[in-house]
Amino acid sequence: MNAIKLNINNEHYDVLVKPHWSLAYVIREKVGLTGTKTGCEMGTCGSCTLLLDGKPIFSCLRMAIDAQGCDIRTIEGVEEENNGELHPLQEAFIQDHGMQCGFCTPGMIIAAKHLLEHNPDPTEREVREAIGGHLCRCGTYIRIVRSILNAAAAMRNSQATQ
Amino acid sequence: MEYYSPTDLDEAYSLLERYGEDAIPVAGSTFYMGHREELFDEVEAVVDIKKLGLSYIRQDAGGLRIGATTTLNEIFGHDLTRQGPFAILATTVQELNINEVRNMATIGGEVCIAGEVDMPTTLLAYDANIVIGGSKRVREISMADFHIGYLNNALEPGEMVLEVHIPQPPANTGGGFAKFERTAADLPIVNVATRISLDKAGVCTDARVVAGAATRSGVPERSGAAEAALLGQVIDATLIDAAAAASADIECIHDFRVSADIRSLWVKCGIEDALKRAVAAVQQGEQS
Repeated sequence: MNAIKLNINNEHYDVLVKPHWSLAYVIREKVGLTGTKTGCEMGTCGSCTLLLDGKPIFSCLRMAIDAQGCDIRTIEGVEEENNGELHPLQEAFIQDHGMQCGFCTPGMIIAAKHLLEHNPDPTEREVREAIGGHLCRCGTYIRIVRSILNAAAAMRNSQATQ
Repeated sequence: MEYYSPTDLDEAYSLLERYGEDAIPVAGSTFYMGHREELFDEVEAVVDIKKLGLSYIRQDAGGLRIGATTTLNEIFGHDLTRQGPFAILATTVQELNINEVRNMATIGGEVCIAGEVDMPTTLLAYDANIVIGGSKRVREISMADFHIGYLNNALEPGEMVLEVHIPQPPANTGGGFAKFERTAADLPIVNVATRISLDKAGVCTDARVVAGAATRSGVPERSGAAEAALLGQVIDATLIDAAAAASADIECIHDFRVSADIRSLWVKCGIEDALKRAVAAVQQGEQS
């Protein structure tokens, strides 16, 4: 076992890991943050997406031991970053019902959050491209895309009124 | 299993040499982690090569040089690969529509996979060379010789890919890429890359027509017949159709995903699309 330090949502965690353990597994099973989901565990479903040094990655394809020293942000950190309030994306997913079972939602929100941080006014195509690697087995894509577009509009409006 | 994160090349080479065939150099880790169960018994040492300074894109007199640990999204966003003579590289990356994988996967990893990935197909069409490092020597091998069979490359134990070198294409050269898959996250069922050079009269002076992910040999292949159909001719719609039809010399694989017949049809359609895009690229002065 290797002793490593992980920085997740600005908190430090000391964990013992084996080299082949994925970041997704360690975050869920050793750190106990279960907001990040594991679906396929081979990089095809997108449910384990988190931000590593500001970029969305599949945490099932990253060795936990290889995430030392990185700034890791999971779905649990999204609300925290937003002063304890729901993020406009989370509000929009509730408002527009951008989910059915909700399993893909954390990954969708992380990917969408990264998109909106870099492109506050995306086209529908750009939204669809940003969630290209994310599967929703309930098939709620239309509502997910609508939620993201509405969140973007809400964020632009609140920016304009500030 | 041990994990190492060497900070200089000599240290990396000595680790790869010490473990020989039981070592795997890893950067983006998408292939290794995606196959960790199958590879678990085979791998004794994971050697992380991200701290060796191999993440760069630069141009010199000989063409473009991309370090092995450069990620696909770095290629997608870089001026040297997004526009100009090497824009085909960003086009190829764009066809892998998974932002998360593009943030992790590296060009060095892509070229090592002789199978269902896109970049080797494009690199073969652009006559790329792979620079390989080891403790005894650094050698350069053509993309055509680097893949020697399905999931099998020319790396010897103790060696790793350092760089991909793409020669400067002549003026009036354009490239095209086309791909068939089921979903954005699917592996390619067929991918095709083309490169054509025209002289001032519009006559084709050089052509590459390559299909990957579909071949019976398991590695990207050039269609000699399609290239021969283009050379010395003025390219128009009829000639593109003829060149695409000639691609039947590429023998396609039949597997559970798609039959060989359908793959051959898709190779033909892909070549048509990719040739049209290559012609458009020349016309748009992509090469300027």
